Parts: sequence; structure tokens; C-alpha cells
Amino acid sequence: MTSLKRSYASSTTPSTTLSSKTYLRTLRSGKVQKVVRELYLRQDIPCSSQLCSTCIDLAPAGFHGKQDPPVLSATPAGTTQYPQGHYLVPDTNAFLTAMDLFEAEDAARDVIVLQTVLEEVKNRSLPLYHRLIALTKNEGKRFYVFFNDFRLETYVTREAGESINDRNDRAVRKACSWYGSHLQDAVKARQSARCPAVVMLSDDRENLRKAKEDGLIASGLQDYVSGLPDADRLLDMVAASRDQRATRDEKAKMVYPEYMSMSAMLTGVKAGSLHQGTFSVSPYNYLEGTVHVPAFDRPLIIQGRENSNRAVSGDIVVLEVLPKDQWKAPSSKVIEEDDLTKNENAENEDESAEGVVTEKERRALQEEVKRAHGKVAEGKPQPTAKVVGVIKRNWRQYVGHVDKDSVRSEAKQSRAQQTVFLIPMDKRIPKIKVRTRQAGDLLGKRVLVTIDSWDRDSRYPVGHFIRSLGELETKGAETEALLLEWDVQYRPFPKSVLDCLPAEGHDWKVPADTADPGWKGRRDLRDLLVCSIDPPGCVDIDDALHAKLLPNGNFEVGVHIADVSHFVKPNNAMDKEASLRGTTVYLVDKRIDMLPMLLGTDLCSLKPYVERYAFSVLWELDQNADIVNATFTKSVIRSREAFSYERAQLRIDDQSQQDELTQGMRHLMMLSKKLRAKRMAAGALNLASPEVRIEAESETSDPVDVKTKQLLDTNQLVEEFMLLANISVAGKNYSAFPQTALLRRHAAPPKTNFEELANQLKVKKNLELRSDSSKALADSLDTCTDPSDPFFNTLVRILATRCMMSAEYFCSGTQAYPEFRHYGLASEIYTHFTSPIRRYADLEAHRQLAAAIDYEPLDASLQSKSKLEAVCKNINVRHRNAQMAGRASVEYYVGQALKGRVLTEDGFVMRIFSNGFVVFVPRFGIEGLIRLRDLGGGKEVESVFDAEEYSLSFGERKVELFEKLKVRIEDEAEEGTGKRKIKLSLV
Amino acid sequence: MPLDSSTYALAHLRVDGRRWKELRRIHGQMSTQAAADGSSYFEMGNTKIICTVLGPRQPTKSGGRDQSREAIIEVEIGVAGFSGMDRKKRSRNDKRTQEMQYTISSAFASTVFTSQYPHSTITIVLHVLSQDGALLAACINAATLALIDAGVPMQDYIAACTTGSTASYASNDEDADPLLDLNGMEELELPFLTMGTSGGEDKVNVLVMETRIQMPRLEAMVSVGLDGCKQVRNILDGIVREHGKKLLSSR
Repeated sequence: MTSLKRSYASSTTPSTTLSSKTYLRTLRSGKVQKVVRELYLRQDIPCSSQLCSTCIDLAPAGFHGKQDPPVLSATPAGTTQYPQGHYLVPDTNAFLTAMDLFEAEDAARDVIVLQTVLEEVKNRSLPLYHRLIALTKNEGKRFYVFFNDFRLETYVTREAGESINDRNDRAVRKACSWYGSHLQDAVKARQSARCPAVVMLSDDRENLRKAKEDGLIASGLQDYVSGLPDADRLLDMVAASRDQRATRDEKAKMVYPEYMSMSAMLTGVKAGSLHQGTFSVSPYNYLEGTVHVPAFDRPLIIQGRENSNRAVSGDIVVLEVLPKDQWKAPSSKVIEEDDLTKNENAENEDESAEGVVTEKERRALQEEVKRAHGKVAEGKPQPTAKVVGVIKRNWRQYVGHVDKDSVRSEAKQSRAQQTVFLIPMDKRIPKIKVRTRQAGDLLGKRVLVTIDSWDRDSRYPVGHFIRSLGELETKGAETEALLLEWDVQYRPFPKSVLDCLPAEGHDWKVPADTADPGWKGRRDLRDLLVCSIDPPGCVDIDDALHAKLLPNGNFEVGVHIADVSHFVKPNNAMDKEASLRGTTVYLVDKRIDMLPMLLGTDLCSLKPYVERYAFSVLWELDQNADIVNATFTKSVIRSREAFSYERAQLRIDDQSQQDELTQGMRHLMMLSKKLRAKRMAAGALNLASPEVRIEAESETSDPVDVKTKQLLDTNQLVEEFMLLANISVAGKNYSAFPQTALLRRHAAPPKTNFEELANQLKVKKNLELRSDSSKALADSLDTCTDPSDPFFNTLVRILATRCMMSAEYFCSGTQAYPEFRHYGLASEIYTHFTSPIRRYADLEAHRQLAAAIDYEPLDASLQSKSKLEAVCKNINVRHRNAQMAGRASVEYYVGQALKGRVLTEDGFVMRIFSNGFVVFVPRFGIEGLIRLRDLGGGKEVESVFDAEEYSLSFGERKVELFEKLKVRIEDEAEEGTGKRKIKLSLV
Repeated sequence: MPLDSSTYALAHLRVDGRRWKELRRIHGQMSTQAAADGSSYFEMGNTKIICTVLGPRQPTKSGGRDQSREAIIEVEIGVAGFSGMDRKKRSRNDKRTQEMQYTISSAFASTVFTSQYPHSTITIVLHVLSQDGALLAACINAATLALIDAGVPMQDYIAACTTGSTASYASNDEDADPLLDLNGMEELELPFLTMGTSGGEDKVNVLVMETRIQMPRLEAMVSVGLDGCKQVRNILDGIVREHGKKLLSSR
């Protein structure tokens, strides 16, 4: 029998050598796989330095013949340590601890990212890996990825008994030494004197020592950064290194229990003994968190620091339910972090020998437990749990301010490094310990920080400083802060995006010649009397309408939507940016666009008197506003007029106007009322949220007054037809693409959501709230009135809105048809189609509709369920964040408008705690907490809290839920932080 | 988590260190089993195949006399349980295996002079020892070698290889490079097709694609595939010639 043994010597091409690697990997299911992979080692991977002339010929070319030019500069920047200039070769730890440093605009250029390092970063943290990849694409930063494991000279085989980390460290060192000698040869060949140093950056002492032994130039992160100009600022961006953490470990005692191992947690969750869910902290009580787990209807309660065991709001945690004797009712007390822990010292926390729970916190909790045992309040005690491990951290960057008291007063001007507390804007996030050399400068500023770690020996998470946004309370800093806090992409559009715009710019016009390719498949609707109705001052006009009476007595109604998909082609840079942004964000004084201005406010915007491309939905409606037929077509329209809601209302009401356009609007008005009546009869909800408008001074845009928004019939007119268009399009898209239509649904809220509110209404007002169906809810909401107080109904609606689920985008293939239902609108199927300028979902719906009517083929990304799901997930988050950012902006401006004023207004009690109550002031749409302690001038007042009757008595006063009372509104600068807050007090 | 095919754009290097137009190491032997009429052993990277050819011979199947004027080419593929990453037994009636059998059989029917052997069967038995991408291509190449070893007259070699594209279908990247000879990991992530040609690159005998790809990218993939098949043909030719030399010298 002939031998099948083969020799490795015979290789396909002379420039490569074959090697192989074998490794084991564990799958999520617990299965272990053995992976065998080939490796082709080669000698034609360039060093990519502009100094080197031999590597230039090696530069690889793709199929299209494009060659990548050398990345690394011939004259890299020098520092005090390396005056001849230097290339950086960071190891994995350097990237893990100091990614912010590498991302800093003015530091760390000419960096060689080794393949070994890239791979390790990917293993350790996917988000950091993506940030690193983004850096390598940033031309100005000159990051070059060197595939050292594919180059023959730098490839390292793992030795017997060597750990994978040691092998990787050795690979890094070998690559450094190769680069060093390679560059020397290159410099010699050029006969220039200056040879840049190849500096290995590491945080690992052992690795550094070995590098020095090998005669390499190596530096610790801290040492390296200290040699840079502006070292103080840059040093703060480096997370505390492992060294520092190691030395601290020895003396510190563990204050938190240890986490369970990942495999133990997974088995526990699978077996049902442990539970997994997202940790969310109560906005009123920072010591109490809740987690919704699939096994229980009601959320599990996590009380106190020890039980929440280093979980931060938003983390995905694993819980163990506590024994029944520790179950309790949800907190009825307001506890804010800065009240209890004001005097803690950030610098030396181990001296305060109180362990993880401070004495004050313990007392606060104790009172809670006592009451929970004392009587069965607000229903039964609920299961409590403790965190035994974290599956996934969802830490992001946090905006906050430095706690003044944590800064050593004598050190305010000094440059010495000290540890300070940063108080995040988001109350649910604990204080963050940050080491900084610029504490003095940062006081009174908005700062951006990130959390690095939360070790067992530290009461608070440890983070590092990223940058300062500016003075507290200045408009710029506060706006940027809230954009960052809600993760809104607000940077100007990059050039690659602007390159996708039509070359004609503002001069772009609908081609006059109807033979032009732009006209292909478009209907000429220019002779229709179309008009748009929008809020005053609106420049991004998405939609326009028309109606006319047909000879048969029916009406032709058209909704014309800006044809954004004509300008934004799938998968180009502009489309990618838009899908990332997801939505336009409206702040009080600012709009952060999803699409560049040129499109949003000009080319796509359906401005009056000019021709524009549109996507039209045309219906024939009969006298009862029932749809006879619907057609969808791309079109060209010319809007006759752009009305504001008010002006449109005036025009309709003005009987002297009898022109055709006004007649059309009257038809629309009549039909919209019928549509609305039908929708209401079907059980659509009329919910309310407190909306206010800021009146600003035109010159300075300083807020001068706050008004609640007025709703006119014309608002409803536009809304009705937009809903009709959305529903029609949803049906069409779904029938064309049953698996991949992008739709929007609103799930019916679980019954338990309404229990509390229903009970409150019953006890206080003897009203019944039914929530069996949206119709029942809508009807019972109508009956929830208080004859003496017209606002009471709105208040109930606001509260009911908060019990709802939030609507979400989804891909039709992921849900069964009955789940498509939009609860609030009482529609079987729904999507967003009518605002493509400001919502990405609408743009996708446009593309699907265009394909459904055979106007153009559907792009591949819209046929892939997984891609669409990712898009939906992102736009859902963006949508919510945009709303939150908008609300936060209004809040800030309301605060500014009230600055320095003292007003007395009507308020309503929305919620009662045992030591305070929440009052809602409809005039300004603000909600504020009134604490008994403040009423008593700083001392706790004797009070009786009746959880069953929802009342709180103190002194002679008794406050009840839903009670209308007079409150004084003033603003107050907090002493510790200089932060302005609205303060409510009883009159 | 090792790096995946998305890093190709960084330095035009694939997950195993190859460039876009490079084949993997190809190794082949002929006459590996003395008992068979023809046999071969073939490797493309870590894909390893043993092939034996039986026949041409009388059909063994009972029932109904075979009246055909041409030889029938039967293909049997056995995939070893240990050949993939997970130990998995493929049944004989596995649909994918059946499809491959059919593809190989019809490909060789077009190049073997079947009319010379009426009422007979040529059986190609393929054993897959190890899989790492390009399974169909490796099977075709192995069968070519074994058929030549068996002395079955045919017009030309069928040389096969796979080509792919560096970007997935949904990412719709126009600058995506075509890739030659995908390994198992790349096949999981990227769109690809298998092609087999004979007569240098004149005639395409096999073209199979199961993934989706945009039309504009297909042309580049096919042209790279034709070129790859030519390279594979040269390698096969080298193996055959070397084997021939050995036979002559041993006489």
C-alpha cells in the first residue's frame, strides 16, 4: 500500500510557507471543538513605513488593482524620550486600558497595530475592537495593522507549556524587534540619519522586563504619556493600570461578594434556579433596583448595595431569589445618593471602616424593612433577589460633574494626582471614582467619563476622565451633555457623506424634460392642488395633501411624501450614516439632522411653489371616508402653499374663501373627522403627555416663557391622513414582503401595569379603570373625570400613558400576524412611511414600497431578515433616545425660563412616598418632589403615611393622591455642585 | 474569537494569510489502492479525499437488463463522521450528498467517452476524510485523477475550484475582491460558487452556486474561477505526469 504521508516542503507558491495551527474552543452550548487551520506564512507583507523603499513594491493590490499607500509617516512625531521620532507598538493591555488616549485627536499617531493584538482585543471586548478598527480607517491617525502572524519572520509558534498570553507577548516583542531592524536597514539604504524608534507600549511589567532584556525600546503607558506635551490631560484618559490595581489589592479588603463563575450562572439560569434580566434602578431610590425576569409577572426587587453587588443600571445580571422572610413591598421612600453619602472621602475609602453599606444607608434600609413587616402595605410583599453575577456590562460614557466636596480643598490649584468623585447626571448611576491631575480645573464643569472597572474591594466603580464639555449651565455644555447622555450622534456629517449629495447642490431641480431618467415611472401630479400643513417655522416638510371631489360623489385624496429614497441610495455612506442616526433629534433650540441640510430642508422638503419628487398615496374615499381603492406611485408635485396649523385653520374657517384649494382642505377636514370617529370607535386611545412649548426671545434665543401646546383641528387633520397612509402602506408592504416588511407594533400592556393606577383611582375617586382591551380602556378613560376639575382627566391619561408598553419597529418575519397589532391606534398593521426626512424607518418603508410597486428592485439589505432586525433594534433605541433627549432639553429650558423667578401655580399630587410626594405642574409640564424634610426646614417632620389610602399626614396638613394644591416654584442653585434645580414647595 | 473575513480590507490578507488569487496547497497521489481499478488521494488545504473507481464493468444491479448504449457513471460519496469540526454522521440519503453525487456524475458524463462502454457502469466512490471548504471541487479533482488511473478514456481533465467574494451579499460592497479557493471558515461567511472546467478554460462542466450574490460581482468571480481552474489543471497534470514517469521507470 502506498503511503499517504505527505511532505510539507512542497508548497504551492515559493513566497509562502505552510504552517498550521490547532486550537480548542468552547461553544456557548458547552461543547468543545477542535479547530485545525492552515496558515500561509509569507514574506511580502509590507512594513508600510514611508521610510522604507523595499516594501513599496510589496504593497498588495486587490482585484481592482487598487494599492494601499504606505501608512506610517516618514517623520513621525518625537517626544522628550524619543527625540528622533517614534512608531508605537501597543500591546493588548495598552488598548484595553487606554483606548480613549489613542482616540484623542492630538496624541498617538503612527501606531502599528499587530494582528496578535487585534485578535486579543477582539476576544476581550468587541466594542473596543470596533473602535480600534474605526481608528485604523481614520487616515489622519495613521494606524497600520501589521499581520505579524502571517509574516514568516515574525511568526511565533507556541512552545510546550507556554501560556497563550505569554506566546502573544512574545509575538509582540518579536514583531517589535523585526520592525526595529527592518527600519534600520531602510534608513541605511536611504542614507538618512534619523531612524524612528519602535516603542513597545505595555502595561505588563513582566512583558516590559523581557522586552528590555531583548534590547527593545519599551515603555509603560504611564511613563510614555508623561513624556508627551499636555501630559496631565492625557494621563487622565488612561485607566488605572494593572500595576496600581495590583498593589492596592494586597491591603484592601473585599467589600462585595464574589461573582459566580459564568458556567455556574448559565447552568443555574437554564435549570431555573437563577434568573437573568436587565438591571434597572428606581429613579427615586438609588438603593432599589428592579429586574423583569420571564419567570415572574412582577419584577424582582433588589435592595441595597450588597444585594445589587456592583451592578450598574442597564447591565444584564443573574439573580438569585432571596428567602421569603426577606421579601418586601417596593420602597415608598425617596432616597437620593448625595443625601446619604455626601461626606464620603474618595481618596482613602478603606479608612472609613464601614464596609460596603454606610451606616446611614443601613439605617435608611432598616426603616424600610420595618415598615414592610409592620403591615401589609400596597399589596403583598414582593420577591426580592440578589445579584450573583453579571452577564454583560452595558457601561457607556457618562456625563456628570465633579463632586466639590471630594476635592481636597488645599489641592485646588495643584497638579498632584488625586481621586475625586464624579456625580453622573443620570441619578441611577452611582458616583464614579476618577483619578485626575486637573481636579481644580474640572470643578464646575460638565465632564465626560467612562467606567473602567468595579472591583470587589471598591465601594464605587472606578473610571477615567475623557474630556470636559464646558462650564456647568452654559447652553453649549448642557446641550452637548444631554446629546452625549442619550447617545445622539451630533458631529457634522463627514465628507464621505456629503459626497453622496447631488452635485448641483441647491440648484438641483426636477428635470424639465419628462424624458429624463428621473421621470421614469413617475406620475405627473403637478396640476393637483397640493398644500402642506406643519408647525410654524417648519423647514423639513415631509408631507403634503390634496383632496378633490370626483364626479361620482367620492373624493380623491392624496398624501404626498418627500421622495427621500430617490436621493439616498441604499448602502452608500449617507445611507449608513442615516441608519446609524436613525432619527432627527429635535431639541428646543437645535435640530440634529438625520440627513444633511441640503436634502432635509431643500431638495427633499416639499416646499411650496417649486416642483419636487414625491412618493404619493392616492385613495378614492366615499362619503363615509371608507377606502374604495388605494394606489401608490412615485410622482412629481408642486405644492401650492405651506400652511402652519393656525393659518390652515383660519383659512378653513374663513367662509369668504371659496377657492378650490380651500375647498379641498375643507373636504380633508370633513373626511378626517369621519376617519377619527371610526378610529375612536374601534378603540384607539387618546393619550396625553405633558407637552410644553418654549417661547424664546428671537435674538438671543433665551427662553422667556413656557406655554402648553395647543391642539387645533388641523393638527388632527394631518395626523389622520398620515395614519391612513401608514396603514395602507403597511398592508401593501406586508403583502409584497411577508417575511421582511418593516412594520411598527405596539403591544398590549400586561394587565399588571394598570393594577396600581386602577386601584388608586378606585380608592381615591371611586372610578373604575378597565384595561381588558384598548376599547375598554379608551371608554373607561373617558369616564375618569372630575366635574370640579377639568384637568383631572388629562392627568389620568398621562398616568395611563406611563403604564403602556412602548411601540417598536420590527421585521414582519419575526412575529406572528396577531402580534403586529398597534394597540394605541387600534390598527391591525402599521408602519412609518410619512416622515422619511427625519426617520430612517420611513426611508426603509419607502424602498420596500417602491419595490412592491415594481418601481425599482429591492436592495439586498432589505431582503435579509437579520440585517433588518439589526436596523430595527438600532432605530428603536435611537427613537427612544431622541425622545428622551428632546424631553431633557425642554426640561433644561424650562429651568432656564424660570431662572430667578418665584411663581405660584396649581399642581397635582401624582405619587406619594412616606417621606415626600411628587407634584406635577401642568403649566410647565414639570414634575417635582416635595420632601417633608424641606418643609420642616431640614429636619424630618413627624408624619403618618397611609399606603392603602394613598395619603400622607404631617402636622395639620394631609396630602392625598390626585389632590390639587398650590405650589411655589423657584429655582435653586445646589450648594455642593452649583447645579441649578427647580424646587417646588407647598404654599 | 479569531479574526474573521471582515479584516480582509485592512491588508488584503485572508484569514489564513493568503492573497485573493492564491490557491491553497494542493497535493495528490494516484494508484493509492492496489485493489481498485483506479484510485487517488487528493488534498486541497485541509480537505482530504480518497477516491476509488470501479469499472467499466457490467451493471451489478439485478432486475431489468440494461439496454443503454452508453456507460452509466455512478457516484457514491461517503462523508466520514470525523471529517468535520463536529462529529456528525451523514446518512446515505442526505440531500446534499445526493446532489453532489448527481453533479459529479453529470459532469463526468460530458467528458468521459461513455459511448465506448455500452451496457456498463463506472462507479466512482469518494471518501471524505477531512473537510475544510471546496468539498465538491476536491471531489471532482480526486475523481479526475482516479479515472485517469483506471484508464477510462476521457476528453480532458475536469479541474475544479471555488471562488468567493470578500463581502457578504447583504453588505453590497461594490469594491469587494473576488477570492480564489475558499477554506471552510470563509465558506461559512462569504458567498461562493464552485466551478469545474475542462480543456484549459474552454468548457465549463460544473457551475454550482448556493449563495446569493449581486450580478456585477459575479463576473469577476467567474473570471477568477476560470483562472483558478487552469492552475488546478496544471497541478493535476503535474501529478499525472509524475505518476506516469514513476510507472515507466519501475518497468
